[in-house]
Amino acid sequence: MDNLIAKADAIRPVKRRRIGKDDQPRKSQSSAKASTSHDRTLESVSLHTVLPKSFRSSSPPPENVPKYSHIHNPKLRTQLTRQSTQNARAKALLKDADLLLTEEAGMMQVEGDMEKTWRVGQDEVVKAAGEEAARGRKEWTLDGGPYRSKYTRNGRHLAIVGKKGHVATFDWQSGTMHAELQLRETCRDITFLHDHSHFAVAQQKYVFIYDRDGVELHKLKSHIEPTRMEFLPFHWLLATVGNAGYLKYQDTSTGQLVVEHRTKLGACNTMTQNIHNAVIHLGHQNGTVTLWTPNLPHPAVRLLAHIGPVASVSVDPSTGGRYMATAGQDGTVKVWDCRNWKGSVRQWSTRGGGGELEWSQKGALAVATGGSVNIYTKPSIQTPFAATVAPPLYLTHPIPHRPLTSVRFCPYQDILTIGHAAGLSSILVPGTGEPNFDSMEADPFENKTARREREVKSLLDKIKPDMIALDPEFIGSLAPPPKLSTAVDGAHDIPFARLPRLERLRVSGKADETEEGDAHMQSGDEEDGAKKPTKEEKEKRKMRGKNKSLKRYLRKQRKNVVDPRAVAVRTKLEKQREERRKAKAIASGAEQERKPSALDRFKRAS
Amino acid sequence: MPFAATEWLGFLLQKISVLQHAPSQHLPARPGDPTPTSRNLDPLMHPFARARERMRALNAAKMERMFAKPFVAALEGHVDAVETMARKPATLDVAASGSWDGGLIVHDISRRSQLLSVEQAHKGKITGICFADADRLLSCGVDRNVKLWDTRSVPEEDERGAGPSSPLSIYPGKSAFNSIDHHRSDPLFATASNLVQIWDETKSAAVSNLTFPTSTETISAVRFNLSEPSVLASIGSDRTFTLYDIRTGKAERRVIMQMRSNSLAWSPTFPTTVLLASEDHNLYTFDIRSLNTPTQIYKAHVAAVMSCDWSPTGTEFVSGGWDRTVRIWKEGVGTAPEVYHTKRMQRVMSTLYTADARYVLSGSDDGNVRIWKAHSSDKLGVITARERAAIEYRDALKDKWKMDAEVGKVSRSRHIPKPVYKAAQLKRTMLDAQRVKEERRRKHTRAGENKPKAEKKKVVIAEQS
Repeated sequence: MDNLIAKADAIRPVKRRRIGKDDQPRKSQSSAKASTSHDRTLESVSLHTVLPKSFRSSSPPPENVPKYSHIHNPKLRTQLTRQSTQNARAKALLKDADLLLTEEAGMMQVEGDMEKTWRVGQDEVVKAAGEEAARGRKEWTLDGGPYRSKYTRNGRHLAIVGKKGHVATFDWQSGTMHAELQLRETCRDITFLHDHSHFAVAQQKYVFIYDRDGVELHKLKSHIEPTRMEFLPFHWLLATVGNAGYLKYQDTSTGQLVVEHRTKLGACNTMTQNIHNAVIHLGHQNGTVTLWTPNLPHPAVRLLAHIGPVASVSVDPSTGGRYMATAGQDGTVKVWDCRNWKGSVRQWSTRGGGGELEWSQKGALAVATGGSVNIYTKPSIQTPFAATVAPPLYLTHPIPHRPLTSVRFCPYQDILTIGHAAGLSSILVPGTGEPNFDSMEADPFENKTARREREVKSLLDKIKPDMIALDPEFIGSLAPPPKLSTAVDGAHDIPFARLPRLERLRVSGKADETEEGDAHMQSGDEEDGAKKPTKEEKEKRKMRGKNKSLKRYLRKQRKNVVDPRAVAVRTKLEKQREERRKAKAIASGAEQERKPSALDRFKRAS
Repeated sequence: MPFAATEWLGFLLQKISVLQHAPSQHLPARPGDPTPTSRNLDPLMHPFARARERMRALNAAKMERMFAKPFVAALEGHVDAVETMARKPATLDVAASGSWDGGLIVHDISRRSQLLSVEQAHKGKITGICFADADRLLSCGVDRNVKLWDTRSVPEEDERGAGPSSPLSIYPGKSAFNSIDHHRSDPLFATASNLVQIWDETKSAAVSNLTFPTSTETISAVRFNLSEPSVLASIGSDRTFTLYDIRTGKAERRVIMQMRSNSLAWSPTFPTTVLLASEDHNLYTFDIRSLNTPTQIYKAHVAAVMSCDWSPTGTEFVSGGWDRTVRIWKEGVGTAPEVYHTKRMQRVMSTLYTADARYVLSGSDDGNVRIWKAHSSDKLGVITARERAAIEYRDALKDKWKMDAEVGKVSRSRHIPKPVYKAAQLKRTMLDAQRVKEERRRKHTRAGENKPKAEKKKVVIAEQS
């Protein structure tokens, strides 16, 4: 056998080795050997064996990648190393990608305390703006009643609707009109669907869908007397709410009415979506704000925000939907933290009663109340502040045509469009738009083929309505630990082979029970503190009036029986003792702390 | 004052800037140019990135299953079951097959034609085939002969009509041969009958006989190691796996297993790895440096595994079984192989990977050699760079999301014939019952007396040297 394969050392009949026992010395030996003598097996087989090109490492691995040298299983070790190397590489590349962001955001600054940015009027801003940007300042004088507007996701196209039924969609940059309709009935809202090729209008009785040229495509008869609409672009859902107080989701790709929720809170005039988790926020007449998802028949969150009716709601896209602003008819504006609903972060009162709200991409908040639009910027509106005073004003613009019915920031531009009784006016608000767009998501300059391509891609990536939840990151994360167990008092009657997998792991001590372990540790500490029960407790637990001799007999009998439960308890106690000893040893420095294991990544936080 | 006003305005001009996109940067410079794209990798710009990626992964998994059409063609010509196959060295598309009726065919796989067809190459069944070099083919059969054929000769019938060609030479043996394999470089070949014999091509009698002392078994397969060409492995009817060295002319080591093996293959890339297809429905890889346990058990067949062959990359291998299925395994992954079947395919007696690792051949009881794709959803033909990138992206997605319940289910589930499905179910039930019984028995014996044994430790009964 010695000369079976090139008389190599490695081929010699191997002695039984115990893995883990003498790991350390063996490793040092082998490394020493590798450094002094060459590997003869390798030499003998390398003549006929070549590692394929795809298996050779192309570039040196990035630094500070965790080494998994303590993991015995070579397959797992290789896989983990490869994964973490790739992750490190990707992170490094992501850092480099910041160089691609070439465009600069707008801004407005003053020097000294005496100067205020809000003193700057639109004329000065327009004068200071470049030629292309100055075209954003516009006044549309229209006589269809108070107007509402909506931009497409790329900010290129604008849809407007007047209360008396004037509907128009156009490319505001090039000035090309797509469609103009006089519907001759009350129209309450308008929204584009996935792009400018379709738009929906909330009319007197139903929702109607028109194509780009203004041809009526669908009458959605299930949406009765709609007041507000939102389109969820990644789910292809049109959500509407109406005077009857029903929130309805219609899938615009399949045409199905996905779900309808009865809010039980009467007519609703206020609606917005959180673009980061597709939750619909509704503001109601009794001052509550409710958050809805299609998979829950009741609101995910119900919040009493105002004393009077809620006039407007908006969610901050710049912080991943963390902040929500509400305006009430009582004349207050409140900013809420969506992670903690206990009280508003900041609130202030405005003149002129209820107003319209909108957050911009960069986190500026526009508040239209009375006869003016006020814009506030980020750090001050989101920092907790007890007093009910307005945050420092960034910009203000008076509009003489009351009421102001909508405020919309144009995506990827420093433009705010205000709808009012005499039409619409666009003003320039420096620093509110995101300067760098992503062509894969929304591109203001996309051509016809790109638009078609994106439509198909987004249809393929359409997310199911059921996946909407308050925390969108639950997808791809660990499932919560199942509560159900087949064990009765920790012991099973079922044979091991027929147990479900988790129970099997639990029995063999391989399940991840970090949380429970922690709880045990805490309880153990408590035990130390309150080891001796009080006299009353002793009295209480003492059994009375039972036959003691029989019990003793039974106890003695029981000693010969191997009770799996007792064994389990004994091993558990042993384990705890061992852990305590280890902790003590680590604290005193006698022992090294445990090395991180491959399974650590599956441990739950907290 | 006007001076002050202008100064103030000048001050403002410096301090106000409004965002504007230059159209020249974002529009194609000339008509026909590609539109410039810009990227912003800020996670806030990509809402639902994870959910959308998951949908993409799900679509990729579904697409893979939709385009999974592994069957390419069936090569006809044999009258009886195809017992053995061999691929021609240094070619991608030539393979030879031999059948139970003594027919020998050299197939051109890409043209699906026959380069050589000998109807009665042997009397009785052909049991082994291998290429001696590029143009010569060795075959052995139960008629106790080894024959050397020239595959270049164009089949022409001579005046007697006695068939296309006659062998270059015949090596008569004493007993029926079961397998043959040629040395990688030297003009030597090994045959398996009731002993392993080494032959020189130029001599008509065996050069040497190799046998394990005290062995009285029938050897069913013999294979040379590919990297260390003087090492030889064989399997026998005594449930043995034996290693020989032709330099010492001895059997070096023998392993007796629980069940006998039906086929044997050396890994082309890991010289110490050998694959055994066993009668107990499993395949085993062994590292010959430690033969007491297999490195991996491959469990999925529901009947005896009749044949196996490594992919030239050494990362995959194919096996054919008595359960009428062909399975393609990844090295080191012991479960859930790719499974191929058709209505008309009978017991698979021989399997073969082509040299480009893209196709798999299977020879079955019904006398057909079938060509399958090694990866069922592979696209054949020219693939553009863009398409290749898309395919690689989809593969990466599937791999990343394989733990997702829905994605995993789509990519894992396979339709298999009802008898195979039922047999697998029955087998699972029986094995479970056995385990439960053993466990109960253990529970009622004295603690520590009857310890559970790992599956890997049960395979080898004895190791002899």
